[in-house]
Amino acid sequence: MAPSTQFEVAQPPNDAITAIVFAPDFPNRFLVSSWDKNVYLYEVVDGAEQANLIEKFEHRAPVLDVCFGATHEEAFTAGLDHQVSRIDLASGDQSVLSKHEKPVRSVIYSPQHSILVSASWDNTLHIHDTAPNSSHPVLTIPLPNKPHAMAASPSKLVVAMTARLVHIYDLPTLASALASPNPPSTIAPWQQRESSLKFLTRAVSCMPNDAGYATSSIEGRVAVEWFEDTAESQARKYAFKCHRQQDESSGGGDVVYPVNALAFHPVYGTFASGGGDGTVALWDAEAKRRMRQYQKFSDSVAALAFSGHGKYLAVGVCPGFETGMEDYSGEGRAHVLIRELGETEAKGKGSK
Amino acid sequence: MGKKKRGHPDVEDILARPWCYYCERDFEDLKLLISHQKAKHFKCDRCGKRLNTAGGLSVHMNQVHKESLDKVENALPNRQGLDIEIFGMEGVPEDILQQHNQRIITNFYTAQAERHAVTGNPPPGQSGGQGPAKKIKIETPEEIKKRLAEHRARVAAQKAAGGTSAPLHVPADDQSPGQGASPFPPPQAGFPYPPPGAPGAPPFPAAHAYPPAYPTGPSPPPGAPAAFNLPARPPGGGAPAALPQRPPYMFNGAGAPPPGYPAGASTVDELISSGARHGDDIDHMIRMAEAGIKPAGKPAEDAGGEKKGKKDKDKNTRMVYADNEVSPEEKMALLPRYRFTAVA
Ligand SMILES: [Zn+2]
Ligand SMILES: [Zn+2]
Repeated sequence: MAPSTQFEVAQPPNDAITAIVFAPDFPNRFLVSSWDKNVYLYEVVDGAEQANLIEKFEHRAPVLDVCFGATHEEAFTAGLDHQVSRIDLASGDQSVLSKHEKPVRSVIYSPQHSILVSASWDNTLHIHDTAPNSSHPVLTIPLPNKPHAMAASPSKLVVAMTARLVHIYDLPTLASALASPNPPSTIAPWQQRESSLKFLTRAVSCMPNDAGYATSSIEGRVAVEWFEDTAESQARKYAFKCHRQQDESSGGGDVVYPVNALAFHPVYGTFASGGGDGTVALWDAEAKRRMRQYQKFSDSVAALAFSGHGKYLAVGVCPGFETGMEDYSGEGRAHVLIRELGETEAKGKGSK
Repeated sequence: MGKKKRGHPDVEDILARPWCYYCERDFEDLKLLISHQKAKHFKCDRCGKRLNTAGGLSVHMNQVHKESLDKVENALPNRQGLDIEIFGMEGVPEDILQQHNQRIITNFYTAQAERHAVTGNPPPGQSGGQGPAKKIKIETPEEIKKRLAEHRARVAAQKAAGGTSAPLHVPADDQSPGQGASPFPPPQAGFPYPPPGAPGAPPFPAAHAYPPAYPTGPSPPPGAPAAFNLPARPPGGGAPAALPQRPPYMFNGAGAPPPGYPAGASTVDELISSGARHGDDIDHMIRMAEAGIKPAGKPAEDAGGEKKGKKDKDKNTRMVYADNEVSPEEKMALLPRYRFTAVA
């Protein structure tokens, strides 16, 4: 049998996975955050079908999100303990960048604008200047509702909240407000939208070409839309069902899974979705077609990330939290799998 | 029966050709069909390996590449399913077989009539001094189907009886007198076929209403994608494609289209183009048909009945996570296992 192009990472987190992210400038390096209060730094060994744990960084509380900073030596985390932290990955030093009033759900670093944005269940965004020795105070932007997912393109920040609210911020505007000697007390979003999906948003991912974004919901559905606020662009948006299974036990109805993770491929602009059904699918956003569906994983897919060059796809797998799971535990059931993509595996039909 | 490389093959010759369930192409022999299927429909796009069946490819994708095959590549819409196991001509469902044969018969007689119109020669089946067919009735699809089945049964019976030289053509005491020797009469014999361009020829309006099932000329009808190269059989020989035609009779009449064909599509070409429009799972805008799924209020309510959903037989769908206000992470954050309590 030909060798598999997929392998499991040794020493995965001990509990459920919250996020996976690759370093933009160091394609084999990736971070995983977990409910076990740790952030794990791994490196894929090219050609060896192996990824090694380099270090783990313990926090006071579960870590709900992680991102790289300006380099592969710097990371930021979103803590259930309300804190936004910076980790020096080389020295292991941790420092607190800001404190929210409630748990921090997401962190995003914009390398184009050198700012870090955190989104918290206290219904605010914090905008941080992460330059060393920066004297700019953290800028707080109130949100109309709780944020659940956030993503950035080169120039836009998309924040998806409860009640189908979606705010799109212009990153240059945020950056210049932060640098202003008289920062405004609030910044209006560049656009406010109602989500194309009727149900609670699970994930957002932006197109690498800055043209638009995809969102997913708890109700087995993904929507793709474009930033440009013209009738033509808005008419292009679409949504589709996915991550559903025929329920044999109930006579043919569908079991509908949340779509927990979305990730655009950095080169081809196709995207992957991961669901509570334990599957990962690759989609061609332009051609509106499913390109691939990977073999079912052992549990729900919690997180997805492509490496900076698009060669690796990391998949975080752990039990999904389903309605009524008062006794939920992800202990010992988290896995991280790395798929080495074939030459054209993630290439859409349109880009051939 | 001999293969007629030149001239116009007999309808039986054409019907006898092996053809591909997935794309409707036909082949000289079974070997060619099988290698076509391996190359076009059962080839692994990851490593190039050619498998014998879609099932074999599915297992290969699963075991070697950890991927699941969700459809057969390069197949016509509605022929992409993995549920039907095809190998060469084995496994083709009976109704699809019938549709294929009917399509061939239609095309055969269409082309023949065109030739007739061009050359003035009568169709071979009617050349036995019987003169032009005057009383040929237009048969319903059911009748043609029935007769085809009867014919096959006869051939099978003759074969079974050891009649190696049994004539393939039925005797003239067939139930449709005046048909000549062929068991498959022109389905559209009632139509006049004026030479193209002759005075009084209709300006081909019918061709727009009823595009032929196969392009009979060198250029496909407008809108037919070039990706699927459906063979014109027999080759049109430059005959105009736009002669008035009856619609392909499998969609004729008031009956529902046969299984496997979407309602409303009347030709293979339309099937292809309609298939190209609807992508895999993509439905164009959000329809909320999920009756009974309401934004859940309190976690306690959710914990109620829906835990395993086994009782939800009446529901169309069951969401494994159904709280539209509170995210799974917020709920997990409240569990004793994960809850953060400030130490300071
Ligand atoms: Zn074929
Ligand atoms: Zn293969």
